[in-house]
Amino acid sequence: MPRDIVHLALFKEEQLNEAAEAIQVLREMGISDHEISVISGAPLQEKMLGRPMTWTRIPLIGISGALVGFLTALFFNFGTPLLYPIRVGGMAFQTIPTSFVTIFELTMLGLLISTFIGVFVETISPSYGPQGYDERISDGYIGVLFSAPAELDARMHEALTALGAEIVHRAEAKKLWLF
Amino acid sequence: MAEEKQTGRWGMVIDLDVCTGCNACVTACAMENNIPWTGEEDAGYGRGMHWIRVQRYWEGEYPDISPHYQPVMCQQCGRAPCEPVCPVFATVHSEEQQINLQVYNRCIGTRYCANNCPYIARSFNWFDYSQQIPTPMNYYLNPNVTVRRRGVMEKCTFCVQRIYEGQERAKAEGRAVRDGEIVPACAQACPTDAIIFGDLSDPDSRVSKAARNQRRYTLLEELGTEPKVTYLKGEGTYGG
Amino acid sequence: MAVEAKSLSTPIHGVDDEEAELREQLMFDPRPREELNRMVMESMVHTTPRYWAVVAFLAVVVLVCLFGAWGYMIATGIGLAGVRKPVYWGVFIVTFVFWIGISHAGTFVSAILRVFKAEFRRPFTRAAELMTTFGLAAGALYPLIHLGRVWVFYWMIPYPNARWLWPNFRSPLVWDFLAITTYLLSSTIYLYLPLIPDLAMARDRTKGWRHAVYKALALGWRGTEAEWARLRKAITIFAFAIIPVMFSVHTIVSWDFAVSQTPVWNSTIFGPYFIVGAILSGVSAVVTILVILRATLKHMDYFIRKEHLDALGKLLLVFSMAWAYFFFNDYLVSWYGGYEAVRKVLFFHSSGPDAWIWWSMIVFNVVIPWLTLWNRRIRRTPWVMLIITLLINVGMYFERYTIVPMTLAHQRFPFDWGTYVPRIEIIISIGTLALFILLYMLASRFIPMVPVWEVREGQEAHMIRQIGKARVPTVSELE
Repeated sequence: MPRDIVHLALFKEEQLNEAAEAIQVLREMGISDHEISVISGAPLQEKMLGRPMTWTRIPLIGISGALVGFLTALFFNFGTPLLYPIRVGGMAFQTIPTSFVTIFELTMLGLLISTFIGVFVETISPSYGPQGYDERISDGYIGVLFSAPAELDARMHEALTALGAEIVHRAEAKKLWLF
Repeated sequence: MAEEKQTGRWGMVIDLDVCTGCNACVTACAMENNIPWTGEEDAGYGRGMHWIRVQRYWEGEYPDISPHYQPVMCQQCGRAPCEPVCPVFATVHSEEQQINLQVYNRCIGTRYCANNCPYIARSFNWFDYSQQIPTPMNYYLNPNVTVRRRGVMEKCTFCVQRIYEGQERAKAEGRAVRDGEIVPACAQACPTDAIIFGDLSDPDSRVSKAARNQRRYTLLEELGTEPKVTYLKGEGTYGG
Repeated sequence: MAVEAKSLSTPIHGVDDEEAELREQLMFDPRPREELNRMVMESMVHTTPRYWAVVAFLAVVVLVCLFGAWGYMIATGIGLAGVRKPVYWGVFIVTFVFWIGISHAGTFVSAILRVFKAEFRRPFTRAAELMTTFGLAAGALYPLIHLGRVWVFYWMIPYPNARWLWPNFRSPLVWDFLAITTYLLSSTIYLYLPLIPDLAMARDRTKGWRHAVYKALALGWRGTEAEWARLRKAITIFAFAIIPVMFSVHTIVSWDFAVSQTPVWNSTIFGPYFIVGAILSGVSAVVTILVILRATLKHMDYFIRKEHLDALGKLLLVFSMAWAYFFFNDYLVSWYGGYEAVRKVLFFHSSGPDAWIWWSMIVFNVVIPWLTLWNRRIRRTPWVMLIITLLINVGMYFERYTIVPMTLAHQRFPFDWGTYVPRIEIIISIGTLALFILLYMLASRFIPMVPVWEVREGQEAHMIRQIGKARVPTVSELE
């Protein structure tokens, strides 16, 4: 399939209802939810726009990191004293009360670091759906990005301008990050 | 482990009733263990380095007043509060001698051990005091003892170099260490023989007998540190 | 029930008194996003010669007092500090605890208030989070500064030496190392995550080196649904997880003292007592910084309003009471215990040669806040709040001074009692104070000081609702 042109329908901050309506209209024209993407300057919930929930693996990545931290802490507490046993203060080599401190800190460290790594990796990894951007988005505009075949152009134009959208064609994003 | 059941091997008894507070032990200790002098100004500020010090307290009201001397050094605790707080295992328990060791080249100078020592027995090298010893005097340094540089903690070792020496000599001659053969510098210098050193695991040794004396007490017993140093003091009621 | 809800994005005609009062609040005084962006951008690029003069002065102070004095101490010996035989820890540890306490502000304001959905937090979460990061940066220097042999500090890092000996994980100092590392990393990330949309905003509005840096930092943020969803998820995980981390950090700092056998230190209440003190000191510092930002940073008087000082003032009063409660609890139980050494220390605190420190602590932490902060007018007067919060932090510094050197000076053997006089510690502490202010000043011209998208989200969520004849503020849950 040849790549369709990416269009961007821009709505003002307070035109949230119209944006939601526009997505509905596009869907009725036969453009699937995969070919639509919404960009906004403030967080919007998917259900406000009637969009499918997005899926993220961040909690999973976070929990895996926490597990790694937990296991590291177990090794630190119960493994390292056996590698080189040194008696201090009449304590046992492996002490349980003190282990909780290390276990807590390293589990949390694993959880938080890997949550961030999850955000970072998911953000820079390639995403599907129309890629487009307009600098007005950070001014609070709501942008509906979609790619549509050329034959729908006229209908789509008419429907969206009726809702008060400003339409930007060829809204493909310039290089927004390092690569 | 066998060592764990032992109540302790090397121990000391200090008879306060015969201690005259002459400070010979302090001097002998400094010479034996290469303890540097810190200079007038620093010593005046409270940085004098002593592994053993004679605490002097006054008893009674003036003019009926008498001094009370108490030599205090590292008590070589069985459950030493200083040990577990060190982040780098620079102060550890010797399972063989049942004393506390200070590993100078592992110490990074957090000084936590000294804060946690209820006997305030530890000294810290605030500056490179040992480098300040004037030239001919450095020939006094004991070659058997490490010269500490600045930034590390140090404390009484029960003259561990003498303990080792005695053990090695006995081993070479194929016999057990005799009671009274190993004497730390402070005990050797004490003119009134107030400091008795020996093997606590041998019930017939002089130090074991003295440690069972009715006048016995240990410093800050309520902390449960299990010190290896026992003090004898009659408090005026001589019964035993 | 018929409800008329009026969105505030559109101007309302015929404003009456009731509404005029509401409009003094940031959330009921909305401005278009474009204008908010413009204000924040202007506040970042606007500098005056006076600003650069202060920056240069602070840089010199940091160079001389922190790096110069510290370098001299490394070359000469830790003996340049005033620490002596019974007082092995002095002002270095006091200042360390102080900065770690300051660092609790960001997490408290940002995470706890976020979790509890306290709306007034929105404009100053970032200002508080920056304090956390820089406070930790200043504080984390002290465990290094106070070491006898700082050149081998890395022996505390969990890795084995040539003989496969690892650090001692039973030592509170290793816990400290782990906790501070965890907190520093996670609070820096927690500062960074909500910053990404604002960095993208700045990217779109700058040119030159700023543009290049913001572009790299914004990670190609476009504001897609997936990006927002990820961000929301990550911020939620962070907000909930960083709160126990924050509690653990100051608890572990308190355990440095509490696990020891030193009289007065050995107290089971030290953990929560330190946390309450840290939050009191941290929130005070937030107020101090907000008052200063409001006066010096362009357009900040729009974002930081009297209502925020008011709300934080109430929090301060509550935490001052909580601090007094914990302090008294610790004091009474120690005193009643009848252990002679403990009583001697407590007596030394309040009537020794340094007793003025103990009494100032009581006055600054309890008397002054209790006498002033109940009053709404005082809470809403910036310069008065500045003085009160500075005094609270002086009081908290004195509290740590009482706990560390003044307790160590008076342990069980009277023979070893001694007094402590700080020496080079004072210079180095001034150096880290300058470092903190310098970092903060530089950051204020580089990082969008106000989380614009969070403010805008809040303004969208606030409505005035008509119930009967009354108009009441209403918040919708957009998050």
